[in-house]
Amino acid sequence: MRRSAGAAVALPSLSAILAACTRPGETRTPEQIDLLVPRPDRPVTLPMTGEPIATDTPIESGAELQIFNWVDYVWKAIVRRFVEENSEHDISFSAVTTFNNMEEAVSKMQAGEIEADVFFPTIDAVPKLAVAGLLQPLNHELIPNLEENVWSVYQNPYYDQQWRYTVPYTVYTTGISYRRDVISDSQIYGMANPWEILWDPAHRDRVGVYDSYRDTIQTALLKGGITDINTGDQGDLDLATDELLSMLDLVNPRATINGSYKRLPQGEFDLHLSWSGDIAAGWGYVPEYTRDYYENLGYWFPEDRVGPVDNDCIAIPANAPHPRLAHEFINFLLDFQNAMDNFSWVGYQPPMNDAQPALLTEAEGLYSQISGWAEPAEYVLPWMESAVVRQSDFDVGYRQAPLSPEADERWNDVWQQFKAGVKTGE
Amino acid sequence: MSKPASSPSPARVSKVRRTRAAEQSGVHYPRWFWPAFASPAIAWLLVFFLLPLYTVLSIAFGTVDPIFRTPLPVWQPWWWTTSHVVEGLDKTFGLFQQVYLRTFWYVLLASAVCLVLGYAVAYYVARHGGRRKTLLLVLLVSPLWISYLMRMLAWVNLLDREGYVNRILTFLHVVPQPVGWLEGRGITVILGLVYGYIPYMILPLYAFLDRIEGSLLESGRDLGADPVSTFVRVTLPLSRPAILAGLVIVSLPMFGDYFTNTMLSGSPSTTMIGNLIDDSINTAGQGPEAAVLILILMIMLLIPIGYYLRSTARAAEAR
Repeated sequence: MRRSAGAAVALPSLSAILAACTRPGETRTPEQIDLLVPRPDRPVTLPMTGEPIATDTPIESGAELQIFNWVDYVWKAIVRRFVEENSEHDISFSAVTTFNNMEEAVSKMQAGEIEADVFFPTIDAVPKLAVAGLLQPLNHELIPNLEENVWSVYQNPYYDQQWRYTVPYTVYTTGISYRRDVISDSQIYGMANPWEILWDPAHRDRVGVYDSYRDTIQTALLKGGITDINTGDQGDLDLATDELLSMLDLVNPRATINGSYKRLPQGEFDLHLSWSGDIAAGWGYVPEYTRDYYENLGYWFPEDRVGPVDNDCIAIPANAPHPRLAHEFINFLLDFQNAMDNFSWVGYQPPMNDAQPALLTEAEGLYSQISGWAEPAEYVLPWMESAVVRQSDFDVGYRQAPLSPEADERWNDVWQQFKAGVKTGE
Repeated sequence: MSKPASSPSPARVSKVRRTRAAEQSGVHYPRWFWPAFASPAIAWLLVFFLLPLYTVLSIAFGTVDPIFRTPLPVWQPWWWTTSHVVEGLDKTFGLFQQVYLRTFWYVLLASAVCLVLGYAVAYYVARHGGRRKTLLLVLLVSPLWISYLMRMLAWVNLLDREGYVNRILTFLHVVPQPVGWLEGRGITVILGLVYGYIPYMILPLYAFLDRIEGSLLESGRDLGADPVSTFVRVTLPLSRPAILAGLVIVSLPMFGDYFTNTMLSGSPSTTMIGNLIDDSINTAGQGPEAAVLILILMIMLLIPIGYYLRSTARAAEAR
């Protein structure tokens, strides 16, 4: 997943200008806003904003599948397989329409600029999009693979009870990727509080964090001993601010979006805050495709598995031109083999019952098998077994849930202070 | 009271002159003919400047969607709210002060380097380019044919720890080990800005220096000036408008640049104003603040633009 600086203030559409008869921003009810901040202990059933398509709807003949997704977040070979398998319907696929961050994706959907069959939202965007009527309810009969193959935790997820609008796509933990030629496994795993290694001046200029406020601020909270990663408490956030400013002083970190999966494997970083899926895909970006070189890549996640763990979703936009095809594609992606083959390229693990943890560090994925230039790599390299996500992680781990608008503003303030790069000494 | 017939009104005189001029050339132009040539430019300004500017104003004084927290422009000025503007000003003089200072510093240094290097190159091509002038100009302009993004990507490869710059520096023993150019250094951002914008400095300087009459320089020499004082007392003062134009052309986009820093550093310690604006645009709930920051930057940049316009107007008057 990549985010580059890029989105611009979009010019409003003519309809938006004409609709500006009343003062905007005063049309939502408090009940709607409550729906936007689900928690694992306060699950949310999103309102039905329409009817799912009928089960006997035929697959749209001659359709071109439209995918709206993060960059590099679905393997095109898998999409092409889907097209081949459905050749009797004369469907086609040309390219994925991509977005750089969820704000950009949401604003494009909101403005009606995108007509996609499937969309890959993060959890925090799901309630907003559903409440605003921008997603369509799913027909469960057309997606039997969810019940068949997917972890029980996703049969009724807290952010979308009864999975009315979404299915899970991938699961990941958030830990630290590191260069094992610089930092040994025993060094980082032996630390009392390994989050502190991101503040270690010994690695000055060689540390990266994500250019993503939730993940980086949550790291500062965890380093400071605060485990509520959805806190809106000003005291907690003040502490996070202090931690981040001291990080600026100590290590001069860089905020990136491709630092872990691409630039650390290429030698640009010694340490990076990392989603497990990023470092699992890292072997595909090394300068030398040898097992010896792969061994330079490592991943730390708490051994007791008490750390941040989450998932991304797939949904169908309300204005999808081919909703029946979209259901078919979602069901296809939830097929065990398709999901695993996609995983072998994307690096992000699907929450599949049959994806046994032992299998993931022993079996070679399809992408590795067909990569003649590279020495073989397992789905997850065996020495970074901690990057394998288990269903039980969701029982003990911290889940990043949507924030209330007030809390979100506080988080954004912390982030601005960090991004402004104003060191404490200045 | 009647006017004496011998003194027609000025309007009448000018009309008579126009008609005579038209008669002489044998063509009659309707009144609207020449002003009509400005209409594409006026339409352009309306659609691509005034409308976007009003949109930015409507966002800055507007509100945000309570669910998506995307900016909601308020088009009617009587519903405008100033809370985001106050907040933006607060931050400009508080939290972001260091970023503004840093940006000014980077732009100042980068523009100065552009000027020194650009002047030398433009001077050489204009005065000593000879028959190769056209070739040299094409070579100088050729980087502009490649997109800015690609040029910065090329630099990322060159400045990498394993890149050619480090290989050459270590081979020549200038540095004992590779330098982490891309590891969050202000100097890299400044050099990136220079690299990105220097062609825009060279072109106006060249165009101006090329037009300086050789006879002026010769008279300087005839009056006893050595080459250095000819340059300092003749060439340099004559090229002042071009220097100003070059500085304005390179420094204005540098102030708004965010890409160079993103590509070549990414460290918060080198954040520029453009990065703050970009971050705000990409953060839910901060759309109005981004618009306010854009307006503040625009107002700040009016100062150098105003100075430039005034000094060129004065120069024109002096002529």
